[in-house]
Amino acid sequence: MNSYGFGFEAMSSSCEIRLDGDDEHALAEAAERAIEEVRRIELKYSRYRDDSIVSRINAAAGRSEWVEVDAETASLLDFAGSLHALSDGLFDITSGVLRRAWDFRSGRVPEAAGLQALLPLIGWPQVEWSRVNAPDRRIRLPRAGMELDFGGFGKEYAADRAMATLAVAGLRHGFVNLGGDIRVLGARSDGGAWRFGIQHPRNAEGTIASVDMTEGALASSGDYERFFELDGRRYCHILDPRTGWPVSSWASVSVTAPACAAAGALSTIAMLKGDEALAFLATQGATYLAVDTALRTFHPELPAAQPFFSGEHE
Amino acid sequence: MAWAEVAVAATDAKPCRGDKAGAIIAAALALPGVTAHAESAPERGVVALKYLNYKDSQPGLDRIAVNAPSIYVLAPISPRWAVDGSLVSDSVSGATPRYHTAISGATPRMTDKRLAGNVQVTRYFERSNVAIGLASSNENDYNSKAGSLNASFSSDDNNTTWNVGLGYASDKIGSTNDATLHETKQTSELLLGVTQDWTANDLIQLNFTLNSGRGYFSDPYKSVDNRPRERDQAIALARWNHYFAGAGGALRSAYRFYRDTFGIKAHTLGAEWVQSVGRFTITPSLRLYTQNAAKFYFDPIYDPDVGAPYPPGYFTNPPQYSSADQRLAAFGAVTVGLQIGVNIGADWLVDLKAERYEQRTGWRVIGTGSPGLDPFQATWLQVGVEKRF
Repeated sequence: MNSYGFGFEAMSSSCEIRLDGDDEHALAEAAERAIEEVRRIELKYSRYRDDSIVSRINAAAGRSEWVEVDAETASLLDFAGSLHALSDGLFDITSGVLRRAWDFRSGRVPEAAGLQALLPLIGWPQVEWSRVNAPDRRIRLPRAGMELDFGGFGKEYAADRAMATLAVAGLRHGFVNLGGDIRVLGARSDGGAWRFGIQHPRNAEGTIASVDMTEGALASSGDYERFFELDGRRYCHILDPRTGWPVSSWASVSVTAPACAAAGALSTIAMLKGDEALAFLATQGATYLAVDTALRTFHPELPAAQPFFSGEHE
Repeated sequence: MAWAEVAVAATDAKPCRGDKAGAIIAAALALPGVTAHAESAPERGVVALKYLNYKDSQPGLDRIAVNAPSIYVLAPISPRWAVDGSLVSDSVSGATPRYHTAISGATPRMTDKRLAGNVQVTRYFERSNVAIGLASSNENDYNSKAGSLNASFSSDDNNTTWNVGLGYASDKIGSTNDATLHETKQTSELLLGVTQDWTANDLIQLNFTLNSGRGYFSDPYKSVDNRPRERDQAIALARWNHYFAGAGGALRSAYRFYRDTFGIKAHTLGAEWVQSVGRFTITPSLRLYTQNAAKFYFDPIYDPDVGAPYPPGYFTNPPQYSSADQRLAAFGAVTVGLQIGVNIGADWLVDLKAERYEQRTGWRVIGTGSPGLDPFQATWLQVGVEKRF
């Protein structure tokens, strides 16, 4: 059997669908449908398109009318609510408003007053959301200026859905990689594992470890993705919704989980948890590789038979 | 027998969602379309060999002994199709009383061989699967042929699964004691069920089965056994599996209600604990059963003039239906069991199972049991080896 890679750009990332098989035409067709699914989710939840459901919800912020949402959006809103509750409020899809204060391109630290003014707009509990099982699924952001942002799990969810599209097409061997958010469809055609490198948080070209996988998902969060440095301090894009300030305990956290939406949320929450990250990941049953800012690595003890994270610099 | 056990094992194989996973993983897996493997054919094939030894007895009489080797094969053909089937060969020997639990020179010794097999083809769709099955069972005095059609449908979030099943069986009944006996029986069955992932650690299942049989229900080897030619059955089954994350084990509990047009109502309460310890899975189980007697069952009080096995007035005012079959009496029963499975590597599973059943009329829970019957015991010992490919 051969191995085919289908590369594409989506969600501001370089993406690839890798499939093992013999019928290149059939694989390309299946990959095309999976890519369409990624683009569907990108359009539906994009903040940059006025007609997306997220833009419609945000545009109605502070007004009295409700916005009706479809079942898929309702499920994602419930997922966001679960993540908020299970992270003690650290994972908050209303925290995107902090973008107005933090401009990572200009590399300026915002005025404390400016940040302070944004904090009242943050807080999932403020959102009036009727939940997925309610007869009419509708949402309302009570304050003008509030915003929802599905960016915290949208790409990971898209990786899961793209994988599902491939599985429904009857394919078994391959994976979906959306800019490092990976969901495995199944082992290589010879039954072997796929080996994924974990990016080195201080060397954009290098890896710090690798992980062999035949199923499940891998996602990473790090302070290297968008950041600037000023007076010897690194300011990264992962912001604590309670203070509006960047996290600083971990350089990166990579998590494997059965679904990419879980791996992505776990890695982000771990970044936000600071010193409690490892205990939190343990209670969530996740397998992880955490790298602190001194580049020391932490991962759970694993039986020798399951080398989830192995090797050093590849 | 072995086939039914394999089928039960397959249903129970569905783990509690969130098994070993934290709440965030469970929440992600609940998202629509995030898990797509639910409705695809099994990825790996299975061959399982089992050997069952069954013995039953009552005080003073070793009754039936059965030795039954069986083979089960599951073969995935593609991600869309799978075929599975089994073959079992029973050799039966021993004796059963001709009426009630009486032991006498009339208690016949018998030996019999049965060969039974079934095959099922399953087609998997995105959120559903449909299976067609055929089964056949042959022994020298009883032949059965059956067909089934089962479909299951999952909700978008995979938390709810609906099951519909139709079955039809056609049996031919003869007797080694009576070469002129050529009887038949037809049975139709409808099953409706729903399985719900209630929480990450709870799975609930409700099944309703209606079964309608027409034909010969009597036991040609029992004296004064004359049963109605129709028997309709209704069965409600509720299961609850709960995974205890702290203990790393699961409690599977079940309640079953049964009633039929013979007038029998029965209740079964069952519980088993599934505990993983390293490579071992240890499953102790307990099942409690109670039933009342069939309308036409008669107690072992015999006609004062003619004597056993005839009930009083059997010749002067013959009853329309009658049976002295212990299984139609009022009784209670307890089954205790222990199963130990050992995974050897990723591909081999060896399992040993022992069950002990005891039936006593005094153990009937609702009302009093039938008088004058001996207790009845049965023991199952089974060893199995399973290889995954």
